[in-house]
Amino acid sequence: MKLSREQWFYIILAGLAGALIVFAPLPVRVAPPSQRTFRVEASQFAYSPAVLTVNPGDTVTIELVSTDVVHGLYVDGYGASVTADPGQTVSLTFIANEPGSFRFRCNVTCGALHPFMIGKLQVGTNTLLWRAVGLALLAAFSGVALFPRPATVKAV
Amino acid sequence: MKRSEILSRLLVIAGVLLVLSVPLAVHFYEGQGIVEIHGRMAESGGWSPNSIHAQVGVPLHLRLTSDDVMHGFAIGQSDMPVVDVAPGKMTEVTITFNKPGTYTYYCTRWCGPNHWRMRGTIEVSGGSSDAPQPVSPPLYMTLNLNIDAPHPAIATPTERPSALRGAAFAAMLSSSYLTNDYYRAHSPSQAYLDLRADPALSSLSNPNVWDLVAYIWQSNTTPEGRAEGQRLFARNCSACHGESGGGDGVFSASVNAQTGKFPANFTDPASLLGASPALLQGKILRGGMGTGMPYWGPIFENETIWSIIGYIYTFQFDEVQK
Amino acid sequence: MRSELTRFSVVKSLLKNRWPQLFGFIVMLAGFLYAIMTGFIGTPVGNNNFSTVFVWIAWWAILILVAVPFFGRGWCAVCPIPLPGEWIQRGAILEPPSRKPRRFNLRWPNKLRNIWLQNLTFTLVALFSTVILTTPKVTAVVLAAMLFLAVGMSIVFERRTFCRYLCPVSGFIGLYAQTAPVELRVKDKQVCITCKGKPCYNGSAAGYGCPWDVFPGGLTKNTYCGLCMECLRTCPNDNIAINLRPFAADLGQPSRKLDEAFKAFIMLGAAMVYAGVLLGPWGELKSAAYSVGTVAWFGYVMAFLAFIFGLLPALFWLAVKLGQVLSKSNVPARHVFAAFATALVPLGLMFWVAFSLSFVLTNASYIFIAFSDPFGWGWNLFGTAALTWQPYLTTALVPLQTLVLVGGLLWSVRTAQKVGREVKIQPVPVIVFSMLVTLVMLGLLL
Repeated sequence: MKLSREQWFYIILAGLAGALIVFAPLPVRVAPPSQRTFRVEASQFAYSPAVLTVNPGDTVTIELVSTDVVHGLYVDGYGASVTADPGQTVSLTFIANEPGSFRFRCNVTCGALHPFMIGKLQVGTNTLLWRAVGLALLAAFSGVALFPRPATVKAV
Repeated sequence: MKRSEILSRLLVIAGVLLVLSVPLAVHFYEGQGIVEIHGRMAESGGWSPNSIHAQVGVPLHLRLTSDDVMHGFAIGQSDMPVVDVAPGKMTEVTITFNKPGTYTYYCTRWCGPNHWRMRGTIEVSGGSSDAPQPVSPPLYMTLNLNIDAPHPAIATPTERPSALRGAAFAAMLSSSYLTNDYYRAHSPSQAYLDLRADPALSSLSNPNVWDLVAYIWQSNTTPEGRAEGQRLFARNCSACHGESGGGDGVFSASVNAQTGKFPANFTDPASLLGASPALLQGKILRGGMGTGMPYWGPIFENETIWSIIGYIYTFQFDEVQK
Repeated sequence: MRSELTRFSVVKSLLKNRWPQLFGFIVMLAGFLYAIMTGFIGTPVGNNNFSTVFVWIAWWAILILVAVPFFGRGWCAVCPIPLPGEWIQRGAILEPPSRKPRRFNLRWPNKLRNIWLQNLTFTLVALFSTVILTTPKVTAVVLAAMLFLAVGMSIVFERRTFCRYLCPVSGFIGLYAQTAPVELRVKDKQVCITCKGKPCYNGSAAGYGCPWDVFPGGLTKNTYCGLCMECLRTCPNDNIAINLRPFAADLGQPSRKLDEAFKAFIMLGAAMVYAGVLLGPWGELKSAAYSVGTVAWFGYVMAFLAFIFGLLPALFWLAVKLGQVLSKSNVPARHVFAAFATALVPLGLMFWVAFSLSFVLTNASYIFIAFSDPFGWGWNLFGTAALTWQPYLTTALVPLQTLVLVGGLLWSVRTAQKVGREVKIQPVPVIVFSMLVTLVMLGLLL
């Protein structure tokens, strides 16, 4: 496939736009770090609340309360973990200095769906998601722009 | 048939047989002389098997595994260490019994509201020819207490009694109040009335008499005993009675759904201050009362139960030292 | 832009010779039966039993992350499920025997010569998937059922009807095999046209007629070629080649088949449903999907089916229709619809890759544990039984998934444009559809 000059131009433009989407510093809402405490109830096979939202730099304390069998909580990316028996609340404290969206998962086998017992820790804005959305939009638009539309091309 | 075809068929059969038979053979060989116990939540059958036999002096080899969630294994009234029984893992334990009798093994990690029903028995026979030690009946029976009856406190304090403040008036206290027998047989509110009626203490205010009651209760326990009690309470009681004793543990709702009653609230002075240690001992030993309370008789030694009771009263009384 | 691998005599003789293949088969068959055995008699705890861990983590990872994208139907070439039946059907394990065994050898009914049945079996498995993939016994039952079905169908029907028309896995492997950079094709079509007897299809003393019921001379897509190498053995003219080729070479010729189009919807939709239900934070959805037979489960089934067979195709239809209107085309809508669904093939594959990356990386440590202690009997075959569960590469996961999904979208856009050029219809609405579902998937996974 031979690319026309116009197409090369689009490819370079799309590449630059892609790099911009991936690396551009985004405006960050600066909130002073604070202490955040969540009481998270764990039961087969869900956390409640399942989505925790904090600001970057917050000191996060998760009080894990198991309400049926022994459960645990492991935070992806942070590697912090804790396990709690019913009747014995256990706290996990860490500083959420890494922004982004992190899954937390049960780390004590607690029944059939144990591997899917998942919650979400949202630290600040999920910039990666927005960058990915930007890339997807760019992919769709540049794909359309890069390659000729059917009206302008002869049938194969 | 061609030789290559015969060879290939043999290879297929050999490969399949090898893979299927070797594990079975190894498993059969490994299982000799070992009892394998599977743990499941009580709703799905509890321990399997739930009764085994052993001989005095003959080591009993157990292989323990869980088929669903995290369980634990311990034998009541024995000093065998508690082990975890993890899903899909094998825990091997060897126990030798010195005395014949019926032992209870039980789950040690909460695995649902019916966790405590996950129990089994080991029948240990043979061995000693000594006559069995005479067992004295528990105090609540000697005192003829009705542990199923309500036990409202006859009096309650207006502020939280403190053993530390009480210690200041300890010198005024007749030593008969400080005995173990007095402590175990009386509820705090009964003790309050006894002290209030004592002319030697007539100069004390009501709260200070309550402080003396707290002092009596504390002087019959030790910091170590209360710490042990606290540990056991967290492991065995707080799932229903609540971590701060409020009767609001994670299973309180399901206890209520099953029995129509809530687990006892130890932070309620009107209830706990009307209960003597002997009464609490009865409730712990025998359980029941139509409240879904487990029976711990075959599991805890007497001293252990007194430690738990000593801790339970700290939901009402401030201690000298934590 | 093709490079023939079979021009190297080592490669060719390795593929032609029956022994290397047989050794592969023995290993696979033994492993498969072992998985069935561990499922039946091992621990009922899914994440510690070889059957569930091996099939749904190890095999699935290899299949969706490696085998399908890089080798197409490479898995089918070594799959043990049809082997026992095929050996009974052929009366031999190696070369064709001098005397053919008497079997029914019925022809597969014409009405079922499509992948609708496979769409059905995959959907069925998908509806029970939370139970199947977490319960060793159920996994073992499913594996054993597939084995028995394959044997039975081999005895009753000719060739590999199980693989071709029933296997729930085969359908999507075939669909996605079109994207693989490997293909089996004839070198010169003219040779096939003049070839007498067509031994590649009808069999000869050197080998069996195509088990997949395909005439190699007419192969233009990977979809239904199982890479079993029989035609390489039977071709009297040395006209069969295994080629390396660019990715997605088959997608230039859009499919006109509605069954394949719906396969694309089923796969795309299932990947999205799983990303939400299994990897999302919504506990009620998980319980509903797991509690087979309850009202909640029926709700889940209805929603699942409505999404896959209703919402997705309907939206897609609207997109295609819009393109048609924009281009003022009067091509039959049914053809255009199926043709444009080709654009969902690379997208669906990448959806599955993105979903599986998360599932596999977080659970891969179970593989080491279960390989050392396959039954949960306390064994430690490779010294890894005592490892604790640990997710791998959690920080690389999101960038990887983004790359995969955006790459899939780009690939889908390209495919849609090729299809658009082919059928002379504006592909932009279809591209917008692809973009929207990609955004949903990003939202679910990231």
